[in-house]
Amino acid sequence: MFSGARCHALRVRLAGPVRPEALTAPTRLWVEDVPATSTEPLAERRRSVELGRPVGDLRCTLLRYRDGVADLVLVADRGHLDAAGLRAVALALMGGSAVPSTPRSVVSVAAGGVPDWAAALEPVEAGSFELCLLGSEGGTAESWRTALAITLVRYASVDSPGWAVIGTDAGAVRVTPGGPAEPTDEPASVGLLVSDVDFGVNEYRPCLAVPFPLTFSLWRKGDTVRLRCDHQAGRISPAQVEQFTRHLAHVHRQVVANPEVAADDVELLDAAERARVAELGRPAEELRTTPTRIDAAFRAVAARTPDQVAVTDGQVSLTYHELDERSDAVASGLRALGVVEGDRVGVCLERTAELVVTLLGVVKVGAAYVPTDPAYPAERLAYTAQDASLKLVVTRLPEFPGAQAVSPDDIVGAEPVSSTGSPDDPAYVIYTSGSTGRPKGVVVPHRNVIALVDATRDEYRLGSADVWTLFHSSAFDFSVWEIWGCLLTGGRLVVVPYFVSREPERFRDLLAAERVTVLSQTPSAFSQLLDVRHDDLAVRLVVFGGEPLDQRALLPWFDVHPESVCRVVNMFGITETTVHVTHQTVSRADALAGSRSVGPALPGWHLYVVDPRGRLLPSGVPGEIWVGGAGVAAGYLERDDLTAQRFTDDPVLPGRVYHSGDLGRLRPDGALEHLGRIDSQVKVRGFRIELDEIRAVLLEDPDVRTAAVVVRRDDPYDAATARIDAYVVLASGDAVGVRKRAAEILPDYMVPTTVTALESLPLTTNGKLDVAKLPAPSAGRPVEAPVGDDLASRLREVWGSVLGVPVGLDDDFFELGGNSLFAVRIGARMREGGLPALQLRELYRHPTIRSVVSALAVKGNGG
Amino acid sequence: MRLTGKVVVITGAARGIGRASAVACAAEGADLVLLDVCADLPGVPYPLGSAGQLEHTAQLCRDRGASVLTAKADVRDTTSVRDAVALAAERYGRIDAVVNNAGIAAPSGKRVHEITEDEWSLMLDVDLTGAWRLIREVGRMMSDQRSGSIVNIASTAGLVGYRHFAGYVAAKHGLVGLTKAAALDYAPMKVRVNAVCPGNVRDTAEAEGRMLREIARALDVPADEHVAAFTQSQPMNRLVEPDDVAGAVVFLASDDSAQVTGSVLTVDGGFTAH
Repeated sequence: MFSGARCHALRVRLAGPVRPEALTAPTRLWVEDVPATSTEPLAERRRSVELGRPVGDLRCTLLRYRDGVADLVLVADRGHLDAAGLRAVALALMGGSAVPSTPRSVVSVAAGGVPDWAAALEPVEAGSFELCLLGSEGGTAESWRTALAITLVRYASVDSPGWAVIGTDAGAVRVTPGGPAEPTDEPASVGLLVSDVDFGVNEYRPCLAVPFPLTFSLWRKGDTVRLRCDHQAGRISPAQVEQFTRHLAHVHRQVVANPEVAADDVELLDAAERARVAELGRPAEELRTTPTRIDAAFRAVAARTPDQVAVTDGQVSLTYHELDERSDAVASGLRALGVVEGDRVGVCLERTAELVVTLLGVVKVGAAYVPTDPAYPAERLAYTAQDASLKLVVTRLPEFPGAQAVSPDDIVGAEPVSSTGSPDDPAYVIYTSGSTGRPKGVVVPHRNVIALVDATRDEYRLGSADVWTLFHSSAFDFSVWEIWGCLLTGGRLVVVPYFVSREPERFRDLLAAERVTVLSQTPSAFSQLLDVRHDDLAVRLVVFGGEPLDQRALLPWFDVHPESVCRVVNMFGITETTVHVTHQTVSRADALAGSRSVGPALPGWHLYVVDPRGRLLPSGVPGEIWVGGAGVAAGYLERDDLTAQRFTDDPVLPGRVYHSGDLGRLRPDGALEHLGRIDSQVKVRGFRIELDEIRAVLLEDPDVRTAAVVVRRDDPYDAATARIDAYVVLASGDAVGVRKRAAEILPDYMVPTTVTALESLPLTTNGKLDVAKLPAPSAGRPVEAPVGDDLASRLREVWGSVLGVPVGLDDDFFELGGNSLFAVRIGARMREGGLPALQLRELYRHPTIRSVVSALAVKGNGG
Repeated sequence: MRLTGKVVVITGAARGIGRASAVACAAEGADLVLLDVCADLPGVPYPLGSAGQLEHTAQLCRDRGASVLTAKADVRDTTSVRDAVALAAERYGRIDAVVNNAGIAAPSGKRVHEITEDEWSLMLDVDLTGAWRLIREVGRMMSDQRSGSIVNIASTAGLVGYRHFAGYVAAKHGLVGLTKAAALDYAPMKVRVNAVCPGNVRDTAEAEGRMLREIARALDVPADEHVAAFTQSQPMNRLVEPDDVAGAVVFLASDDSAQVTGSVLTVDGGFTAH
């Protein structure tokens, strides 16, 4: 049958009579009398329908309206009659010269899927967007093809193979910008139809049905050029289509100006678009905050509500007045111990009321607190003490490696102290262990914490009626939100002891008994709470943070706690930008749709998504997330190089931005989609794998309650041995069935090699998934292959034998389970083997074999 | 409007259910190809649709904004059906729905062994084979389009028996069977085939229908008595209006029924619910 995708159509408003005799048989003129004037809706409908009827060769229809006006509608297969031919037929019917016939072949091209950047959750009808360009921007079929390929490659961003497949009437072409354009059989998601014909004021439709999900077409209209994008019906974002079309025009101008321009040198955005995209990353509401210090803000609350309970810890309760007094005493005692403003004081206490008193005491004396968790291994404590140059650590441990341990009982002072510091002084230093390298201390000023509270106070109606939990370790900055979010808004903070936080039944009992209203959780911890009865709670606000949230997992919560009773908010956050960055209220509808949005930035915070060169990327295109605004930390403690690298000047506004290392994209509505860590994108057998995608598919299985997916290599330095291991907690069924069903949905290369059923997923002290504690899916680990005898290979041998695992050049000593004991052994083995001496300190500074080798080389050269 | 831009072909469009369906489709934005035999057939004891009646149906549709083509077509004649479909394709480029409505109620009124060879053949040729001929012509086109809806106007006589109507009952049962078989054949091509089974439809002035009158005459019963009997046999206690049937036709032709195929939709006031 005839294909609308192969046809184009032209409508001409007639000024005089038509000459049907100009047509050659068998083509005839169909005459339709429309019972309406030319401006009535019926006339418009009839024109539109007539322009959309496919034909095998050529059809000519005359529409006569009641007001004497008439339209000539011509529809032709583009292979039978090209744009020039179509115009010639129209002219002939109106009394011009004879009709030329210019048949050519139109090749059918398989249509591909909707490109990621154009995808939307909600389906739309087919539609189009038209841009009017200057006549001088006409270009050629080739310049448009090049511009389209460049724009597509740049939009595909991290996923781009470096070329784009474009569908044309002559077949699909694989276009490599700056390289060849070759015919291909690949399906095309994007098509290009170029005609260099002037249709004047007449209505031209380059295609009747949209051949490709996105079909671009060009033609002349008087002294302008029309660039049009028709999109198919489906889950396509019209806003994204418009944006891409504008960017295509901008890229084309650059291609015409410099045909040799490299794809990567092209500016995707002009100044106006840059401003628009930058604006997109800013929240609608402004932050109203008065910079102050935490201690000052707390004193103000305590003065307002002195008798309100501030902290509950089991049987112990402290009012705001009591908390104020006790922390004054701690501040005084710390001063007596020699702590001065600007110092850093270690705090290593279990979650107790005492912890809260101590943290407040530290900030009152004008120092910054450096929290560590008593559960941390001694090596990690020692590392923190050394890196933060801690002289004093408040702890109930008998001793603290590398610093003086002081029991809270011994902090006594008589002289009241009050800090004269500024809101810009550091309030705390929290260590983050990134996916690579040693933990780094993030220095966060007082004003950031105040801004965080001010950014959320009104929106979430945080106030003295609220009861919060202190669920998280003070070494995890989610606790910053819990402690100060509560105490600076006058709420009551309920301490959740460690053992309660690990037992969902007891935790639930605590939530119920204390009538907790504001609950902050990692999704992993929350999923354990969902496994127990949770219907008798007073929670009115759940805040998720710390991990990506799978919104579908919230349905059982919504079943019991409807949105009208309890608001559920997902916050994406980074320690370097003060706990949270974005916020998204999750609705049941979002949970059903499986939205990946983490919402817009908090008031005062803003987002950019940039390419590897730091240029702003349009919405829909994945790139690195940069965060600017009120939450940006002062930097990394004593790591100027790294600070300079990760904290740079804001490209648009005053201030600095933090380079998150996270992959994300902005949606056209300004919400952020978080796509994981840039450096954790894994490849298996050459395919880029999204572990989250695999996890999402597993979670859709009704048998699966929670899931985790990791990539492991049997041979860590051999990418070929990579395999995907999945872990699931089952509601019913078995792991074999889960894998089988996943295999029906996922492409081959994404199907987990193994699916292991567990009773529960292991969590870290921070309540996040503890990947290191996931058991091996199958027993035994292949033994390390023999290595050569250069320094690196011999080091690998030594490290491997000491640590008991194969060691790659870039494996981190500590992440492989290394500690000071192993470090000493490695030093001994190296000496035995006649290798250069390696001091413990150097191993801490250079925890990979590659960095050790280069450090030793420098040392060798230096004499 | 549920049929904007869709092209609907209707047989037996000169009057009755055909006319009502055409007008209803036009009101929903469809463009129409209206076919009728426009002649009396030897062996059929009553006058069939005329060219004038067909033109009147077309005008009613045009008044509602439709683009309309009419053609004289006899569903007993393959060439005639083929030409009509070719004309529709040339003018409109596609066919979205077909309503197989052409049918005759008589010659009837006899017991099975009294029916002649010619009477039997004529009844099946029009009421069953006629529908098959049009499906044969549009089946390939709709398959290529990967869309289309075929609506066969059967009858409650396609579901239950009536005394002295063996030919008609057999043909309409056959049409219901053809509906189900064709639905299976075309389902992979996204082409739907459904049947509508009207009960006793009133002969209205607007639709110029005369089926009920002819049934009564075939049974040799005074028309008034017959109407009363049929009205009582339908639990809703009234006769079916041509527009009631047209409503079912519009539903089945439109995308509202996107997953409805092989189904039999009765419009009989509850008659077959007994």
